Amino acid sequence: MRDYLVKRGASALATLALAIVLNFFLFRIMPGDPTRTVVGDFRVTPEVRQVLIHQFGLDQPLWVQFILYLQNLFMGNLGVSFQYRGTPVVSIIFGRRLLNTFILMGSSMGLALIIGITIGTIAAWKRESKFDISTVIFSLVTYSMPVFWLGMLIILVFGYYLGSIPIAGTMTVGLTYSNVFEYAADYLHHMTGPLVTLTLSFVGFYFLIMRDSILDVFTEDYMLTAKAKGLSDRKILFRHAMRNATLPMVSLLAVEVTYLIGGATMTETVFSWYGIGRLIYEAVVMADYPILQGIFVVMSVAVITANFCADVVYAFLDPRIRY
Amino acid sequence: MLCTLFWTLEFDIRKAVDLKTEALAGLELKEERFWIYRRKIGDFWRLYRRSPLGKLGLGIVLSFVAVSAAAPWIAPFDPFSFVGDPFLKPSSTHILGTDQVGRDIFSRVIFGTRISLLVGLVASAMTIAMGSAVGLVSGYLGGRIDNLLMRITDLFIILPSLPLMLIMASILGKGVWNIIIVITVIGWTPTARMVRSQTLSLKERPFTEASRAIGSTDLHTIRRHIVPNVFPLVFANGMLAIVDAILSEAGLSFLGFGDPSAPSWGMVLYFANTAGATVNGFWWYIVPPGICIMLLVMGFAFVSYSTDQILNPRLRRR
Repeated sequence: MRDYLVKRGASALATLALAIVLNFFLFRIMPGDPTRTVVGDFRVTPEVRQVLIHQFGLDQPLWVQFILYLQNLFMGNLGVSFQYRGTPVVSIIFGRRLLNTFILMGSSMGLALIIGITIGTIAAWKRESKFDISTVIFSLVTYSMPVFWLGMLIILVFGYYLGSIPIAGTMTVGLTYSNVFEYAADYLHHMTGPLVTLTLSFVGFYFLIMRDSILDVFTEDYMLTAKAKGLSDRKILFRHAMRNATLPMVSLLAVEVTYLIGGATMTETVFSWYGIGRLIYEAVVMADYPILQGIFVVMSVAVITANFCADVVYAFLDPRIRY
Repeated sequence: MLCTLFWTLEFDIRKAVDLKTEALAGLELKEERFWIYRRKIGDFWRLYRRSPLGKLGLGIVLSFVAVSAAAPWIAPFDPFSFVGDPFLKPSSTHILGTDQVGRDIFSRVIFGTRISLLVGLVASAMTIAMGSAVGLVSGYLGGRIDNLLMRITDLFIILPSLPLMLIMASILGKGVWNIIIVITVIGWTPTARMVRSQTLSLKERPFTEASRAIGSTDLHTIRRHIVPNVFPLVFANGMLAIVDAILSEAGLSFLGFGDPSAPSWGMVLYFANTAGATVNGFWWYIVPPGICIMLLVMGFAFVSYSTDQILNPRLRRR
């Protein structure tokens, strides 16, 4: 177990190092003055610019810049934003936006997982029934839909025609709340649209994997044993099949975090959700390179950690993995 | 049951063909080889025809190809010129109404087929080419190069592709070709992984060893013995790469990275969003382009599924 952990940990660190190197060079391959992407914007005041040029060594050779970049990175200095006129990138990313994105992504992932696992198990149990076939078709349809289009449809139907969800934003602008419950209710009301969009776009994936996994488990000998012991169908399904079939889902969860960030970017943009995904879009439109660079680092750390955790949890749950 | 029987049968034919290919490899009988490849393709087609999903998918894809080829004749108006008042509702002249500057939406969707298909096909072809090249080099040479290349592959697989694409697109700027480049640079990794693992196993087979033993160069061995054997899987995988490319293109165009002079379906939706089509209830502006994307993606997904069933030996034996 320890050897395995050390091996995975080293590999995660190597990947992270590569990500940081890539991040440094990606923003310096642009044509023209290399300092342009760090400080060269009219929205940054000359005084701040001088400080930054000194901090990041922009008047020095590339390798010095790289070392200074690493140094600043470890001290938590990611530069300053262009569009927010010199606000440090760190304070923009780690704030309200990150929390909003966490809440949205976490809840949609949880919902998709619960629904996907339940429906997948039932569909596999009643293989080739009407329920099975219609759920497979449903997941195929949601897979083929672009996420942003699904979001637009939901705004059109539930926002415009039915008027049951707010069409944009995280909170109602200008509303004052008398207590925390009203606040939460307004927040959740605004979250409905993006939450449904993200959940729908991911539930199909979980469903298909779970269904496949259960079908695999059904062929195992211990299923026959369980049946021979005279266990009830429900017990066989939920005690034996589901628990074993959920195992591969753990490693998929980390992969899903990666896709979820992409989906969240789209969804947050369509619904104007005040989160990191929308920040990426805004930064791209406003050519706010320091923000993008900062998000790249944070994102890399997040997904690499998630993958490492999934490896560890998986090894813990399934001793065969540890060799 | 029938399927299994018919797979085993097909497998025997294939094995015979493979043996013959190997026997002929040293003889340089180019013409003979041509007929073998033709027969292989014939075998493939005979199997493919039996899959209803595959036929449906191929039908969808081919109809979109037909629409894009016949776009100037199908579309009632020029997609770029202002042919009516802005925001007209659907009528007999403008089937899907007009957009915010008075262009015919139906014509724009018809012409959008061209760009969406083109980007999907070209970007996936480039993705496959790059992935295969990396996978072949990595798997065949091994050692340090393999290690480094696979690290890079790991990184690209692990990082979220859409934000990465956005960052790259913002660096490169707008335009159809930039979108294609972005999709290629971000999307080559799954192919590389697959080709590498195939190459690793093919490298150890007797016929590759024999080829090396008689003194063939590495390039020759790769070209004659590894590429032809990797190709079927790459082909099946390529269909899924098209799906990814179409969806990525739609997403990037929707976020405004498309070329306004070459509007795709994603671009139409981008304009729909900027015109506030959702909050004004212009369903005719939103629904049709999305349905087109969905259908095309489904078409390629079906084709990919059926191709995979035939070409992937793991699935074939199930």
